[in-house]
Amino acid sequence: MLMQGLFLGLSNGVTCVAYCTPVLIPYMLGEGKSVAQNFLALSQFLLGRLAGYLAFAFVAWLINLSVLERLGSKGLLIGALYIIFSCFLMVYAFFKTDAPCAARSIGYIAGKIKVPFLIPILAGLLSGLAFCPPFLLAMTDAASEGSLSYSLFFFFMFFIGTSIFFIPIPFVGMLRRLTALRIIGKMAAGIVGLYYLYAGIITVIAGVKGI
Amino acid sequence: MRTDTHQAPQGEGKGRTIILTVMMAVITAIMFSHGKIPQDPKEAIALIVTFLFANTLFFLLIYTGKTDRYRAVYFSTFAVALIISFISHMFEARGSMSLSEAKVLQCEVPFCHLVIPMTLVPMALTKTIIFPGSLIGGYASIASMFVLWIGATLALGRGFCSWGCFYGGLDDGFSRVLKRPVIKKINPKWIYLPFAVLLFVVLTAAAYLSPTYCTWFCPFKAVTEFEAVTSTKILIQTIIFVSLFIGLVIVLPILTKRRTQCAFLCPFGAMQSLTNKINVFDVRIDKEKCVKCKRCIQVCPTLSMSEESLEQGRPRITCMKCGKCIDNCPKGAISYHVKGTDVAGNNRAYRLLFLFAAFLFISIFSSHIIQDGIIRVLKLITTGSMIS
Repeated sequence: MLMQGLFLGLSNGVTCVAYCTPVLIPYMLGEGKSVAQNFLALSQFLLGRLAGYLAFAFVAWLINLSVLERLGSKGLLIGALYIIFSCFLMVYAFFKTDAPCAARSIGYIAGKIKVPFLIPILAGLLSGLAFCPPFLLAMTDAASEGSLSYSLFFFFMFFIGTSIFFIPIPFVGMLRRLTALRIIGKMAAGIVGLYYLYAGIITVIAGVKGI
Repeated sequence: MRTDTHQAPQGEGKGRTIILTVMMAVITAIMFSHGKIPQDPKEAIALIVTFLFANTLFFLLIYTGKTDRYRAVYFSTFAVALIISFISHMFEARGSMSLSEAKVLQCEVPFCHLVIPMTLVPMALTKTIIFPGSLIGGYASIASMFVLWIGATLALGRGFCSWGCFYGGLDDGFSRVLKRPVIKKINPKWIYLPFAVLLFVVLTAAAYLSPTYCTWFCPFKAVTEFEAVTSTKILIQTIIFVSLFIGLVIVLPILTKRRTQCAFLCPFGAMQSLTNKINVFDVRIDKEKCVKCKRCIQVCPTLSMSEESLEQGRPRITCMKCGKCIDNCPKGAISYHVKGTDVAGNNRAYRLLFLFAAFLFISIFSSHIIQDGIIRVLKLITTGSMIS
């Protein structure tokens, strides 16, 4: 089950990168830093994202305690959530929607803040707290188990999975492929959505049988 | 747009064509026969027909200068022969096309190249091959397919999809049924879908150590083998692969005149596209000769030609080197090319180099399958059954 966090992160990492680089790259280009310095900025950004994810993990655990523990069959609710979120993910993948990455708003803030060190961290934290479908799916998965440690570890694995895709970003030359990556990422998110739709239906059926 | 006269693809002279065909004939005679004349009349007929078929097509390919026209005949024949041969073999070995759990446990599932992308990451991580097939020996072993794939990749890159894939001939064939496409406009973004499918199947195969594409998506299970329907899950899988086969291999290729399965679904094709980067042959457009008539964009079966391609002088990375754009270019501006050489260089020599390698590959790879297909048809005619 914990590998699902990594898998979900790896599946959606391209989408995360595609939506968050419009913040990171202008910042890096604007600063005109070397690749090594860009890696430092990326580390700060990822640190912020990790903080955001762990906050999510805590919320996921609270949801599990308050709602799921009182239910006789978790499958019904988890399955229903899978279906709702997978539909959301598919809409997100196949239709033109505004980017749900919260860090986009930092573009304006960045111009106002005079402490450049904080910008990548804040951008990372906000992107980590974004309420976009991959995170919601991750939250549903994390909430399906009872322990706080599971929830935290699940989101940590999700963070690792998505972070791998951020490594090439400091090499700005690779950005030429961003448009294609963005499309591929969205399509992959759609396929993952279909997978979760199937998993959701199966889980609901199992939940109904369990009642 | 300039309006110069049509310049048909130039073939070779009779002398050079004969010399090249004799060379091909000697190699194919040895490879097809394995150095011995079959005693069984049906096998002898199959050998002779396959030999003549291959070498006649090679002669025409070289002499007329038309690449795609004769390649497609061989390629589609290969696909049809595979279906006949494979299904007959399955009925002989198992009594049906369906795959039982026992055969999976015994690792007797034939391995095909489409599984390769899913095996690489788990192989690197766990040193195991996540497919219930035979490593060496038996029918379509894993090792033999890997050797063929590596050889074809080095020689052809994504050219494998037009000169080697034993499934590609199906949608290629169906894409030629109508003279004009019914559906003309296709969003070019769909060419990214195979890469998304590749990303998905590679990740899920690595996470679950299971060949996801084979289990859920492969349309060609409809004409090769499939799991016996014993549960709701398998029923859903069956509906998916049958729908994909009807939609992407038959209906859409007919309506669009494109190879829709290869262009919009196949993860192996996406992986092969990446190998185009390391392959020595590519297709190039001579910008000096190009009059931007966009005929190549209209005919490309995988949407690999775009207006951007015309500006850049090269097709997209997804080019399968089928030669359709080359055949259709009215100015002879598109040609096979050896990387690192001048685009306006000796294109006829580059074409011969590529065609010799590509044709040799498909003829050797397909010879046993085409021969077996012919034997099965002869058996059907003489005994009323294709199986022994």
